[in-house]
Amino acid sequence: MKRRNLLQGMAAAGLLPLVPGFATRALAAPGDTVRFAIAKPAGDMNPHAYKGLWGAQDLIYEPLVKYGPGGEIQPCLAASWSLSDDGKTLALELQPGVTFQDGTPWNAEAMKWNLDRWVPTGDHDWINHVRLFDHLEIKGDHSVVMHFKEAPLSLFFELSYTQPTRYLSPASVAADGSFDKAIGTGPWKLTSASDSLSAFERYEGYWGTAPGFDKLELVVLPDSRGRMAALRAGDIDVTGGDFMAPITANEATTLKDAGIAVAVHSGIAMLLGFNPDRNPALADKRVRNAISQGFDRVAIAQVLYSGLAEPAGSMFPPSVPLSGNQFAPDAHDPDAARALLDAAGWTGDGIRSKDGAALKVEFVVSNDQIAGSRSMAEVMQAQLAEIGVELTIRSVDHASRHSDIPARQYDMALFLTFGAPYEPFGTMMGYLYSPYDNGVDGKMVIDAANLDPLMEAATAASEATVQAQVQAVYDWIHAETALAPLLYTPSIWAHGPRVEGFTPPATEYDTPYDGLIIKAG
Amino acid sequence: MTVFLNSARPLRVSPGLALWIVAGFLFLGLFGPWLVPHDPLKQNLLAAGQGPGLVHWLGTDHLGRDTFSRLIAAANTSLVGITLVLGIALIIGIGLGTLAGYRRGWTEEAIMRVTDVGLAMPSLIIALAMIGIFGTGYWNMVIALALAWWPSFCRVSRAVVVGVMNKPHIEALRVMGASPLRIFFVHLLPTTTGSVLVYATADAGGLALSIATLSFLGLGIQPPTPEWGQMLVDSLPYLEGDPRQVILPGLALTLVVVAFNFLGEAIALNRVPRPLGRRLLARRRAEAAAWDRPPRGLVTGEKA
Repeated sequence: MKRRNLLQGMAAAGLLPLVPGFATRALAAPGDTVRFAIAKPAGDMNPHAYKGLWGAQDLIYEPLVKYGPGGEIQPCLAASWSLSDDGKTLALELQPGVTFQDGTPWNAEAMKWNLDRWVPTGDHDWINHVRLFDHLEIKGDHSVVMHFKEAPLSLFFELSYTQPTRYLSPASVAADGSFDKAIGTGPWKLTSASDSLSAFERYEGYWGTAPGFDKLELVVLPDSRGRMAALRAGDIDVTGGDFMAPITANEATTLKDAGIAVAVHSGIAMLLGFNPDRNPALADKRVRNAISQGFDRVAIAQVLYSGLAEPAGSMFPPSVPLSGNQFAPDAHDPDAARALLDAAGWTGDGIRSKDGAALKVEFVVSNDQIAGSRSMAEVMQAQLAEIGVELTIRSVDHASRHSDIPARQYDMALFLTFGAPYEPFGTMMGYLYSPYDNGVDGKMVIDAANLDPLMEAATAASEATVQAQVQAVYDWIHAETALAPLLYTPSIWAHGPRVEGFTPPATEYDTPYDGLIIKAG
Repeated sequence: MTVFLNSARPLRVSPGLALWIVAGFLFLGLFGPWLVPHDPLKQNLLAAGQGPGLVHWLGTDHLGRDTFSRLIAAANTSLVGITLVLGIALIIGIGLGTLAGYRRGWTEEAIMRVTDVGLAMPSLIIALAMIGIFGTGYWNMVIALALAWWPSFCRVSRAVVVGVMNKPHIEALRVMGASPLRIFFVHLLPTTTGSVLVYATADAGGLALSIATLSFLGLGIQPPTPEWGQMLVDSLPYLEGDPRQVILPGLALTLVVVAFNFLGEAIALNRVPRPLGRRLLARRRAEAAAWDRPPRGLVTGEKA
């Protein structure tokens, strides 16, 4: 090929998007399909592997009970239940007339097969009722009793989790017992999956309320600007959520201005974690306290979140069950922060020092994890410099964050709580209880002497005492400034004009297809 | 297509403009810290996203920092980065290339095969791999880019030395008993350095772009240091609401990269524009005046 031909071809290809409607035609959704944009491929569909997009698995697999709006527990694969007074036995009447997508009936045997497959592995012992599970008693074809060694806390929230407490067909595993095919009882059947798109079609044998449209596609659009453009062009119908494809406050404003429907609702908490094991200066709680008072949460919420976020004083927003007494957010008080640093022995003009060492702190942020977090870090960097703390920002990609944070390669880092239904215990066990391996999310506070006993007491508490025991954990964290709550961030969803009936999901692990329909005409 | 390419030709043959842009970049890069009207790091969240005005000539960014001051400070960042990377890459490239051309044999084979491997891979990929191994940070970025850039200088140096080694004066030096070190440092290195520096000019634009790319990806210059690539990525969320924040650093980067490339091309074609001083102007005028007169001997009655 001649160079001229090559150049002409490239120029022609470059001009193609300018042809009216070209991009729209290339991505045009069929009339019966609703397209959701996701930031990363849906990946592994094994509900027991803690991989893949949980919102995609929510389409296929169902739990015994569902976490409804406001934390209301609703029947799902269990039609009704009865918990004994001592909390150790849970009698369940399974939903009748339910079949897996391959035709296998959902019954007591299928439930037992599922539990036998993943409960004894020990991989899921961070969940109270899994750790305390004793055995399953089959009373009838659709009648079972779950027996526990002790009464598990938050039992019904745990039963609604996306992973691992969802049920798959016995035919979905290979001969060696490994996961093979994604077959659940849910309303959507996976028809194809690639790194760019996961396609689902409605399961016509679904026992519950059928979705309002025939096909659903999860389209991978890694760049948020690409997602916004695709939404405005009508190439996708829905996007957003904390974990599916986050929308920033600034993007939400732009979408609203463009006439796109935007739904904002209470989201999760953003927390600042300290690592005194790597930076000895942070072992002094006065230094941690000074840092927490050294930056302006209100300004960050107003400027970087367009007022959609709220300054946080506690580990969980008040909407979370067992979130305890709400502490007032630390106010921006540079004088108080300076006094704390003086008292801690960090003195001097400019960047403070102690015993010849400068007060330097490395702050690891990832825009991939939290959009806009680098800008937030820059604000904190400038404000902490005013109290004599040199904050070095290390901006990393998603993969680096997933390796550096569990390896504790940070002085300070941002963490997000897990959101409903994993709050509070899922988040607390993951971030605060040192014996539990929290995988790529890493640990925020490690204190085997003081915090672990409090966590053990909280998870072993009865319904009558759990409030007080959990509050003891919150009080200790607050008194020690073991972490610094930053913001309660909003969860933002947006949908195009082609669909209507959108309601934000009850949890950020659900795909919000309920009630959604394609507009007539 | 031909019409399009022809219309772009005037741009390609204007190294003088490129020279002025590069000179401006160098001036701002060298004296930027003393020229900025505001502290480029000073935030004012209440003034975030302001448009151009009397106080902030080019407006402010998303954190209320003066955009004009940050653009100038970013020129300094890029210039220092380019200088450091080129400095290290030139030392390695010229040193090894000259050694390969001088020693020949297995030394040349070993050095040039490593060079071939380096040249076979895109420099940015090598830099990304280096940063992946050693982590992010300013010096890691500089070293990663230098390690990605030296092979081309090494190849040119070796070619120059191989040519020079056959020259009579080098043979004479050897016959006269000049030490290898004398030949290497006094006669070969200066020759190769001069030749390679010319090529380095063309690489400066690509290097500025690589630094901006790495910063854009969050792997290069870290906050709060102003840098064009970083300014671009920070302002991208505001592309629709306030495109000024994106256009300005993008424009600055484009101008410098294009100017360096044009200048490099001009130098490679030996079309270096010379400053039009008084003496050169007088000579040009004299030459132009001579064009109006017919050549001697052709005018009737004049003796040849």
